[in-house]
Parts: sequence; C-alpha cells; structure tokens
Amino acid sequence: MLFELLRRCAERVPEQPAIIDGDEVETYARLIARSEAIARGLLARDLSRFGCALSAPGAIVALAAASAGVGAEVCLYPTDLDDDQVSSFAMTFGHPTVVVHRTRRLVSIETLTLDQLMLTGDMAFPSPERTPVMILTTGTTGAPKGARHDWSRLARAVRAPDERPATRWLLAYNLNQFAGVQILLHVLASAGTLVAPPSRRADDVLGAIERHRVTHVSGTPTFWRLIVGRLDEESARKLPLEQITLGGEAAPEGLIERLHALFPAARISHVYAGTEFGSVVAVSDGRSGLPVSVLDRGEEADVQLRIVDGELQIRSRVGMLGYHQASESEHDWRSTGDLVEVRDGRIQFVGRTTEIINVGGVKVHPLPVEELVCSVTGVQLAAVYGRPNPITGQIVSIDVVLKPGTDLKDAEARIREACQALPAAARPRRIRFVPELEIRGNKLMRQEAG
Amino acid sequence: MPDAKQTVDAESVIRDAIHALLERRGAAHLTVRPDSRITAELEFDSLELAELSQILEDELGRDPYSEGIIPDTVAELVGFYRG
Repeated sequence: MLFELLRRCAERVPEQPAIIDGDEVETYARLIARSEAIARGLLARDLSRFGCALSAPGAIVALAAASAGVGAEVCLYPTDLDDDQVSSFAMTFGHPTVVVHRTRRLVSIETLTLDQLMLTGDMAFPSPERTPVMILTTGTTGAPKGARHDWSRLARAVRAPDERPATRWLLAYNLNQFAGVQILLHVLASAGTLVAPPSRRADDVLGAIERHRVTHVSGTPTFWRLIVGRLDEESARKLPLEQITLGGEAAPEGLIERLHALFPAARISHVYAGTEFGSVVAVSDGRSGLPVSVLDRGEEADVQLRIVDGELQIRSRVGMLGYHQASESEHDWRSTGDLVEVRDGRIQFVGRTTEIINVGGVKVHPLPVEELVCSVTGVQLAAVYGRPNPITGQIVSIDVVLKPGTDLKDAEARIREACQALPAAARPRRIRFVPELEIRGNKLMRQEAG
Repeated sequence: MPDAKQTVDAESVIRDAIHALLERRGAAHLTVRPDSRITAELEFDSLELAELSQILEDELGRDPYSEGIIPDTVAELVGFYRG
C-alpha cells in the first residue's frame, strides 16, 4: 500500500522533491528507484521481519515502502539509540536482522546497510496479501510496546486533503512515531513534499518553514506553544502556512485562538489519534475538545467512541491488529487512558488516568490547571503533577517555564491569583520556575503522580 | 549541639511561610506569636498545612509532618528544628 502510494507519486510527479532533508533533495523518481532496489534485496534475502535503525528520513521511507512492497514487517526504531539499546529492541521484538546506516556492534544480530541490501536488475514483485508494519509506542511510561499495524488499514484513515501536489509538510515528529507515519501517509496520498527540519528547536523549525515554503505543519500543542512563543503577527506573516494541525496531547482553546490570530488564513485542526487505535477524529471548528456527535457514529464506522466511567474508549477498524506476540485482537472496545468530561456539547480532555492527582481524596486533573496557568501573562509552558505529601497524600505541584524577561515574583503572584478560580484542592501548592521542561517525542513529560 | 544559625533560619522560614499563607487567605491581620496554635487559632486547613509542610521540606530539607509529628503551636514547630 505504501509502495503503491509512492509509485503513484513517482508516476505523477517524478521530478518533484519527495523529501527535503537539509541540503539533500530526494525526488520521487529517485526514491522509488531506491525503494525498488531495496525491495529486491529483501526478497533475495528472504527477510520477513526486521528492525530499522536508520536515521535519515529518505532512507527510512525508502526502506518502509520497500518492506510494504514485498509484505515484510519493518519496525522503525527510535533514531537516537546506542548499540546496546538497538540490541535490546531487536531481542524484545524478535528481529534477527537490523538495517543500519553505520557500523553497529550488536550481539548475535545481523546488521545490514541499505547499500548491502540494494539489488539492481529485473525482478517481479509479488502483490503481498498483507503489508504489515510494527509501530512502537512512545513509551512515556515504561518500555515501548510494539503495535502491529497494516499499511492498508493505516492508509484507509488518511484521505488526501487536496489533490494539489505542491503541498509541503514539515516532519515535526520522528518517522518511527505513529504521528510521523501519519504525516508520511498524508504526504504520499497528496503527492506532497516532506521537509525535515535540522532539529526540533523552534528556531530551526521556523527557519525550515520559511526556507522551504512549508504549507502544512502538524505538531503537538507543546511544540506549537514553543513556536508561538517565538512569533508575533509580523514574523508569522512571512510563513506560508495553510494547514496547522495539533495532536498527541489535548489542544487548549487558548492556543488554538492564538494560532488563529497569528495565521488568519490557515486552517487549524486538532486530531485525536493513537498508536494503538489509529486515527480517530479531526476537528477544525476552532474549539477545544471533540463534538459529542462523535459518540453517535454507527456500528459501520471505522472508528467508534464511547465514554465509560469518565474514560474515553475506542473501537477501531483502522487501529492495530494487536501488540507484538499478542493474538489478533477482536474488533473490541479499548480503553484510551484519556479522561474526559462533557461540557457544552463538547468532550473535553482533562488528563490521563495515570496522571490523576489525589489531594486528600479530591481527584485533580492536571490539564485544566495547566491550561489556566499557561493563559497567565509571561508563562510559556507549564507541567502539573502530584507530589507526595504527608497531610493530603498528594499536592498539586507545577513546573513553569517563563517567557524571557518575565519577572519571577510578578509571575508567581499572577499565577496564584489566576488559580484562585480553581477549587482549593486543585490550586498548585508548589510553584517551581524551571529553565525548561522535559519534552519527549514532542510531548510534555509530567512527573508520574506518585 | 544544634546549629544556632540553622535554628534562626528555620524560625524565619516558618514565620515567613505562615505569614504568606495567612496573607493569601486574607487573614494577614492575625498576629502570629510563638504560642499561636496553628490549626486552632491560625485556622490552618489541611491544604494549608500540606503546603506548609511542603515549604519546610523544600527550604529546610525536612519537616515534622513527614515524620509523623503534628506540632500544635508555632513554637513547637520551631522546636522540631532545634531537636
């Protein structure tokens, strides 16, 4: 499926850049040629399951498409692993072979470079019945899990937003992340161009958007907060953004409004998706949360939603087939770990089940507190978490990153005043100002509520 | 021998913390004396006590509440750091 998408792009727009990675430009013609050579190598070596420890987006896409072309299951590893970690991933997920871009010392695991894999010549490709791919969870808690997907199911959830081939998409995630895979599918479905920024830092991202005339950017709310912090109306006008997408975390209304103000011509959407259940819903009405109407999707819908005990559950036909080594799951309801409340016809996210803070028996959700604090003048980012306390079990604690030049004392007073609007138990009892917050996979890490 | 400087520091940290919490509640008019009773007179609720214990732990490295001691008066609280 991925292979067919790539081939179709190569037929339609062979000389158009498929991937721009720094100064390297890979056209669709070159990418499909590379991918076909890799596919021949996979067939010749009879590789059916393997790990991918490549880091360049062009190489990863070529390998992923080739695997899909021959029905082999590729598993994209995170790009920043050391040799021990690569070995451990290969052991965990049972990969006898790992494709690498540099010399790796791995114990009893075969390594292959793309150059070693590529074969020229004529070879008929079978049309594989299944096009499996293993996508790892981000592992914000514990070790990553391998979710077994199929490219055809994944692609079904992606509808080409427009048929105009000149769209340019920023790769603000790694390709091994589910969200990165989604972006790749969108690029290929619309014959667009994928632009990889030199790093995820706001300045590098903004530089890449301006230099390569990026039109579509999808990132987490944390990512967007950092971007918005660097922009004013004037500098935003230089950026040709047409589509702004937020995903991976709850999208707060204040942030959506700010993006609308900075990019009045852009369409702004937030998506709800997950490695396990796939792409669920996209909302573009400028409001936070999901419309309650998503609860009324019928049995025939690819993805159904329901709320049980305040937690969102999903039943998906485009989600994973099952975890690694777990049997194929039935078309069953699955808990998301996302806690929600229905207010004014909207399903609002309030936090994760693992992030509930219990303050003397009162359950406090971190997201509304974070959202409130982030709306305070001078605040750039905030992370709310529970801290053990001898009197109440836990108290609400908050780490805050201020915008440059903000006075600490004034900011604290403003935060405390704003938090008076919260129930007493939800008010942060400990405010720490920190230079930065831990961000993993573009998502804000909250300390585990212990 | 308890460190004299640490005791003085503890006393001022405790006084500042109590004053800050009273002020936030709009009760800055209450006089805080060594024999003021923390819950009975200064009317600290559990959330304020939780915050007080948090401040003491952050600023002084330990706090009586975590060790199962609930001081009744301000002087008893200061005394914990003399002990």
